[in-house]
Amino acid sequence: MRDRLSEIRTAGASLVLIGNGSPDFARAFREDLSLDEDIALLVDPALRSYRAAGMRRGYREVLSPRLATNAWRALRAGHRQGAVQGDPFQLGGVLVIQPGGVVVYRYVSQVAGDRAPFDEILAALAPDSVPLASASEPSALVRLGAEALSKVLDPTILFSFDRTGFARHALGFDSADLERDLTGCRAIVTGANSGIGFETALALADLGAEVVLACRSEVRGQTALETIRERTGNRRVSLERLDVSSLTDVCAFAARQSNERVDILVHNAGILPSERIETPDGFEATFATHVVGPHLLTRLLEPGLDRSDDARVVWVSSGGMYTRKLDLRDLQWERRRYDGVLAYAQTKRMQVVLAQIWAERIGASHTGNSGPCVVSMHPGWADTPSVASALPGFRRVTEAILRTPAEGADTVVWLAVAPREKLEPGGFYFDRKRRTTHLLPWTREQAAEREAFGRLVDRYAARDREKTD
Amino acid sequence: MGDEMKLDRNLSGLILERPTGEPVSLADLWRERPVVLVWIRHFG
Repeated sequence: MRDRLSEIRTAGASLVLIGNGSPDFARAFREDLSLDEDIALLVDPALRSYRAAGMRRGYREVLSPRLATNAWRALRAGHRQGAVQGDPFQLGGVLVIQPGGVVVYRYVSQVAGDRAPFDEILAALAPDSVPLASASEPSALVRLGAEALSKVLDPTILFSFDRTGFARHALGFDSADLERDLTGCRAIVTGANSGIGFETALALADLGAEVVLACRSEVRGQTALETIRERTGNRRVSLERLDVSSLTDVCAFAARQSNERVDILVHNAGILPSERIETPDGFEATFATHVVGPHLLTRLLEPGLDRSDDARVVWVSSGGMYTRKLDLRDLQWERRRYDGVLAYAQTKRMQVVLAQIWAERIGASHTGNSGPCVVSMHPGWADTPSVASALPGFRRVTEAILRTPAEGADTVVWLAVAPREKLEPGGFYFDRKRRTTHLLPWTREQAAEREAFGRLVDRYAARDREKTD
Repeated sequence: MGDEMKLDRNLSGLILERPTGEPVSLADLWRERPVVLVWIRHFG
């Protein structure tokens, strides 16, 4: 295709090549082929763009008999296969995209070595090219097949929490659920500067909502703010400093929101420290960030949530919570050696229980479904900056199967905007479906333990009153 | 317009790198003019 660069240029377009090898391979590739400087070369060793563009990957596709004829054709054209790099089973393809993000051509390679017909690419660059139509919804048969497959594969966890699980579950999604205009809605997303929080804020802003990015780091928050404004064109996105582990911060933030309506509150901020950290309020930091802070924030924002006709509170938990039972002993990690992963999983279990407690309390104090709908969810295994920094070993092993942050955020966004009748208050969700809160029988808590936990967190969160008294 | 294929938000939100390490936002590639994006199987 590089031989036809002049025709692409004449059409007013640019050519960008994306490869799945390392930067070293890309540099050698550019030198070996004496690539024109006009051709941009990008590296994507994690294959994120391949997945997002819907490119295929598989053994059969690469080992197809057609590979031999394609390889022979390439050899005759003077191409020589270098050392294998990147993912050898990943196939390529082509997208032609017009300004504004309008896709006018898509070619997904079916077997190794096949190529998009250049005439078709050139035709797509013509000013009168027609945008591609959206893919139609999967047929009922495909949905049934995917559901049947999920019954077999979901219990493996691996093929449920990974990206193949998302792709399979997504076949059952109703695309109409997210077709909402959120103009006039007001959302608060904690930890919105990266990962799932960022993608959630981006999606809500894209749907027209006014979004408050509640971030601990003002620098990273500002970058996220600018990116979201630029990508969505939505100027009603603002940044507020909030360290949710600090009761003082939570109170100050809530005070600034006291006259506002809150339609969507997403408790996403999370940490996974390797060593025990104690907050100025005397709490272990994970417990403060995941449990006490968001609980207090929900309580202080209740008047704002009540001003909405259809408020949602979403707790972003983790699949890791399945391994832990609600355990109220030594909540502050004072009598045992600190284990960050364990502390994370325990507090993620607490978030699921807290969502249920909140749903029960709101149900008791409001008539019908008039109160805020409080739910929790887990995103599966997503490739977020937090996972990269806190669990580098896990990421190294699972990198090829991790979901994108946007895939991880999908259910958060769905819970925030889907029709109210599709949600069950207090429910725990994954890939837009209500899921069990216990995979292991010994992780079930007693009603008394749940009540004791609710009272305990109320007491801890009330320390803010002691501070102001 | 309603039936146009929308770019996956996963794609438009991605930031990849040039071999030099310089980050490139994919959304910037089609901001001002058309782009032919080619995903290749391997370098070489």
